[in-house]
Amino acid sequence: MSLQIENLSAGYGKVQVLHDINMAAKPGELIALVGPNGSGKSCLLKTIAGVINPDRGRVILAGQDCVAFSPQSRAKHIAWLAQDRNAAWALSVRALVALGRAPYRGRLGRLSADDVVAIDAALASAHCADLQDRRFDTLSGGEQARVLLARALAVDADILLADEPTASLDPFYQISIMQSLRGVAQDGKIVIVSLHDLSLAKQYCDRILVLDAGKLKADAIASQALGANILAEVFRVTEQAGQFTLAQIPKKT
Amino acid sequence: MRLALLIVFCVLAALLSLSIGALHIPLGDLLPALFGRGDDIHITIMQDLRAPRTALALCIGAGLGASGAALQGYTRNPLADPGILGFSSAAAFGAVLALYFGHQNWVTPAALMGAGTGAALLLAMAGRRQSATVLILAGVGIGSLATALTGLLMNFAPNPWALSEIVYWLMGSLRNANFDAAVLCGALTLGGLICLVLTGSDLRTLSLGEDTAKSLGVSLGRVRLLLVVGVALCVGAGVAVAGAIGFVGLFVPHILRFLFGADPAKLIPVSALGGAGFLVLADSGTRVISTNGTVLYLGILSALIGAPFFIWLAFKAGRS
Repeated sequence: MSLQIENLSAGYGKVQVLHDINMAAKPGELIALVGPNGSGKSCLLKTIAGVINPDRGRVILAGQDCVAFSPQSRAKHIAWLAQDRNAAWALSVRALVALGRAPYRGRLGRLSADDVVAIDAALASAHCADLQDRRFDTLSGGEQARVLLARALAVDADILLADEPTASLDPFYQISIMQSLRGVAQDGKIVIVSLHDLSLAKQYCDRILVLDAGKLKADAIASQALGANILAEVFRVTEQAGQFTLAQIPKKT
Repeated sequence: MRLALLIVFCVLAALLSLSIGALHIPLGDLLPALFGRGDDIHITIMQDLRAPRTALALCIGAGLGASGAALQGYTRNPLADPGILGFSSAAAFGAVLALYFGHQNWVTPAALMGAGTGAALLLAMAGRRQSATVLILAGVGIGSLATALTGLLMNFAPNPWALSEIVYWLMGSLRNANFDAAVLCGALTLGGLICLVLTGSDLRTLSLGEDTAKSLGVSLGRVRLLLVVGVALCVGAGVAVAGAIGFVGLFVPHILRFLFGADPAKLIPVSALGGAGFLVLADSGTRVISTNGTVLYLGILSALIGAPFFIWLAFKAGRS
């Protein structure tokens, strides 16, 4: 299923964050969304997921405007992984991952055989099958991140949007999560992941989108998106022999 | 197994409630008398007094327990309770308004209208917002206003009789139980319970926060509407019959969470059972303790059990 975004503007309440974003993605792509803090990465992912409504423009799924989808059918096509890792109650890992099946479950919330298969598959792809009987609140930060990723994978959606899934994790978990996302893309799904770590973006993603102050500054294959200009202008750094240092030129004149 | 124990607890509590009263009825005669067989006096006592009273305690307890569990699930706060969102106070204000003007017959519709008005105000204030914090703040505001208005009515009570009627009614009691009240309260509570049970699976999804729930197709507007209608029906019906009975919605789900896990979808029906069993037991307790014409009010007893529990929770939270 293809994803297309046309002239999208959105924000929180009256504060407009995103301005006129255009992009398209096709199945099998792992796309990194990078940009400084406050550049609108989370806002873009939330708007695609339908968590916030666009002020202008359209999100188009398989040629059809998302507005036409019911919330439940949209939820079956697009999974969104939130940046924060809170769960209100001390649920078991398996029960928490099962929440990803919410769009498929009936009014009384019973799990079907398909749901059980999807939950098992999600636990396996996120490498947390061994944690399934533990309580979520007893896990380490890295384990929690993997479990929440499994929750998003359990939706088995065509499009997975992950908002900084590697933030504040040690390298083992960062790499493990990026590998899981890589696997999801290889299964023919679209994965868009917002990242702060530019090296991870370059190493694992096919394509990089660069956001700055709510505008799309670059959209190119991973090896080319982060050129010297973009690094200096958007991130205020320069790269020499794989090392980032602070750029001397001011961001804007 | 744990569920079966909970059901057995409810049945035993109900039997105990049927067997306690001024006139001793042998245990073996209880159920025959309930179904119209045996001594005429026994039949009258069972059918007109004890059965309605027991049924009312079960209904009100179930409504309060389920309301507490649902509100705790929605706000993701284990200290939420129908009292917090102002439903109990709004319903009480409605009923007190009827008592103030001396219209005993209007108490039930007035309490339901009070709960409904409180709910409508709550929706109007918090309806456009998606946040649980706004909902709680609005509820606390409405509850305080209703309490203040109730105080105003007591302040200007036309005569000492009206004032004492209001005060006794606010203390909460099932002494006025009768068949009609039990049927009305039962029907309203059943409607409320159905609304609350229907929110269960969405409340479970809400454990991950409102944004994630929305991304999973949960309609927050629908959840809130079902929740407000369900709680208004349960609490309004209960307050109309028995006055203000607090804390049941707070501590019943809290205790059952230890036994049955925290899943809100499971906790709502289980808390209905637990609340029913608890309130029927507490009402039996008031009848055992009341002697020589001095009546212990159910609202007082449940607050005497519930408030120390609440303080203990706060104490425990403060030390951890």
